[in-house]
Amino acid sequence: MNKQDRKVLACVDQSRFADTVADYAAWAARRMDAPLELLHVIDRHLERGSGEDHSGAIGFNAQEHLLHELSDKDAAVARAEREQGRRFLNRLRERALAAGAPAADMRQRHGALDDTLAEHEEGVRLFVFGRRGASAETTQPGAPNVLGRNVERVVRAVHKPILTVTEGFKEPERVLLAFDGTAVTRKGVDMIANSPLFKGLPIHIVMAGKESADTPRQLAWAKDTLTAAGFEVVADVLPGDPETVIAREVKARNIDMLLMGAYAHSPLRALIFGSKTTDLLRAATIPTLLLR
Amino acid sequence: MKSFHQDWLANVRNDLLAGLVVALALIPEAIAFSIIAGVDPKVGLYASFCIAVVIAFTGGRPGMISAATGAMALVMVTLVKEHGLEYLLAATLLTGVLQIVAGWIRLGRLMRFVSRSVVTGFVNALAILIFMAQLPELTNVTWHVYAMTAAGLGIIYLFPYVTKAIPSPLVTIVVLTAVAIVLDLDIRTVGDMGELPDSLPVFLLPDVPLNLETLAIIFPYALTLMVVGLLESLMTATIVDDLTDTTSDKNRECVGQGVANIASGFIGGMAGCAMIGQSVINVKSGGRGRLSTLSAGLFLLALLMLVGDWVAQIPMSALVAVMIMVSIGTFDWNSIRKLRENPPSSSIVMLATVAVTVATHDLAQGVLVGVLASGFFFAHKVGRILHIRSAAEDEGRQRRYTVSGQVFFASADAFVAGFDFKEVIDKVVIDVSRAHFWDITAVSALDKAVVKFRREGTEVEVVGLNEASATMVDRFAVHDKDGADDLLTGH
Repeated sequence: MNKQDRKVLACVDQSRFADTVADYAAWAARRMDAPLELLHVIDRHLERGSGEDHSGAIGFNAQEHLLHELSDKDAAVARAEREQGRRFLNRLRERALAAGAPAADMRQRHGALDDTLAEHEEGVRLFVFGRRGASAETTQPGAPNVLGRNVERVVRAVHKPILTVTEGFKEPERVLLAFDGTAVTRKGVDMIANSPLFKGLPIHIVMAGKESADTPRQLAWAKDTLTAAGFEVVADVLPGDPETVIAREVKARNIDMLLMGAYAHSPLRALIFGSKTTDLLRAATIPTLLLR
Repeated sequence: MKSFHQDWLANVRNDLLAGLVVALALIPEAIAFSIIAGVDPKVGLYASFCIAVVIAFTGGRPGMISAATGAMALVMVTLVKEHGLEYLLAATLLTGVLQIVAGWIRLGRLMRFVSRSVVTGFVNALAILIFMAQLPELTNVTWHVYAMTAAGLGIIYLFPYVTKAIPSPLVTIVVLTAVAIVLDLDIRTVGDMGELPDSLPVFLLPDVPLNLETLAIIFPYALTLMVVGLLESLMTATIVDDLTDTTSDKNRECVGQGVANIASGFIGGMAGCAMIGQSVINVKSGGRGRLSTLSAGLFLLALLMLVGDWVAQIPMSALVAVMIMVSIGTFDWNSIRKLRENPPSSSIVMLATVAVTVATHDLAQGVLVGVLASGFFFAHKVGRILHIRSAAEDEGRQRRYTVSGQVFFASADAFVAGFDFKEVIDKVVIDVSRAHFWDITAVSALDKAVVKFRREGTEVEVVGLNEASATMVDRFAVHDKDGADDLLTGH
């Protein structure tokens, strides 16, 4: 496997999360000895218009004038953002290298965040991004538990593990896996077992909710797999609503990174019944690795 | 989910405002186009409402405005005159069906044969036709009408210097209507032109006999309407693509236009399509999403219901002023300056498209002539890419002809003329390894050359037929088969 193809992709925008994203990405890159790429996506929001002219009058060469006017406007914005973004990315790159990332590249792209990530998915081992972006700071100030509006779209757009971080870096020391026996979380167990990312850290496996006949067998499998891989494992089945149980255990056990499956159901179902992933992400205030 | 958000909710405020601006401009246009088609204004107004609302959901180009249009109205004139409104409604339904089929078989791909010059010719012809349609309102009238129209144009183009917050065509209409009422001018108003909507549209079936005779009447019109509607819609979609730097689904647009026309036919509306002028106005006003198209349709109907009685009072001269603006805004004025700069063939294609369209009032025929002319000029140009060089070999006993370039119907004569058949020589080698044989004409030209040499007693060898040419020759050539001489000379 080409090492260049197995990079950690950190998605940053100019919000206060950017430093934390860079720190966690550097941490992951260091542990996995993978190259790091810092990606800044500039969304020109082509779906939004900028109309101050409601005159409704069209004169000579109306079409051409409008085209020039719109493209000049776009060009001016793009130039300003490019320069600003470059300086900002350079600073983050220095920070990531100082934090021990083996190699750090940077890139700026035009486009929508989810489309861009889906295009770049090939060759990425782990995505890292903040739960809220620059736009959330202006639209929903002072609401720390609210997820940025990009989160679900981005998570659904890609099929690689995604580390979503909250503000403030703390080197992970205790990891909790929200295990429910589904294919996604079983894959997660394999991933932890085979990845250098969590090597040497204690793993807590928590199965929350109603106990079924199958539960003990599944939990035992997860525990055995991880123990065999050399992890120190604590495994529990706890009754109750998963959202509350996980949030409570995270606090009680001083956990600093959560792993869970994400958005296994269709967007339509999520719209009607709500999404467990979104609920958990809101409830857990620690960095969360989403498994796809 | 994502595209739903992008198409509908990403630009709500701008879309609604742009929709309102567009709706205000759609009312005079729908009335004017109804008059062109020879139907009551309500037919065009219902159509505009219905098409805008339906295409907002079914179209492939968010932010594009579709409604009753001049291009379509011009096609239906004789149908309405000879057979009446009910046959127009039936033709509208059939147009919709044909457009849906066109979308399914991806007829939109054919748009690539419509060159830039043809598109320019199309919009120029459209602008000229819209302008010409206003002339009846400007002939044999009192000076009041000219003064009103001039004042209207003055307001339309000067009012934006005062404020761009209010649509200047609306100001024109309000001011001119007020002037006409206050001064009690005896000039024609919209109310004189036919029935205006007095209620919400209702579902109805066209009152025509369902037989082959009806089909024979409406089918030619429906076919032309389908072609014109899709041409203008796909051209407008490309314009909106460029303006907004985004892409559209052209086949979905074809099907969407069809669905919108069927819906229009069922509520007593005429066929329509995308509008270049209105779509430019929409983008200029900040409209980008489907919501702008939907709101344009809904505002249109709401305005009619609220101020319907006043609409009848609008003097025709105000409408004429608005339509002259649309005509000016649609015309590509640069194309006049570029007539000399562009290659003559491009200018001829553009002018031919305009001339045929203006003469026939049928944009489909204009475009057909334009496309054929571009094809003709292209064949002519590519036909000149053919070089035949020759050199004597083997101490004058043999001559080698090296052919490079394109051999097809337009260059076949030049190909044959490139050989010297009268030369007294033992053997001729024709090297076509750097040539392309495109059609049967090319193959028979090679046969002809070979046969001519053989008749002079010269031995001929053809070398280097590349793969593409080889397959052509294998299938169509006769020179290397028995009796080639007989076949070609035809006894």
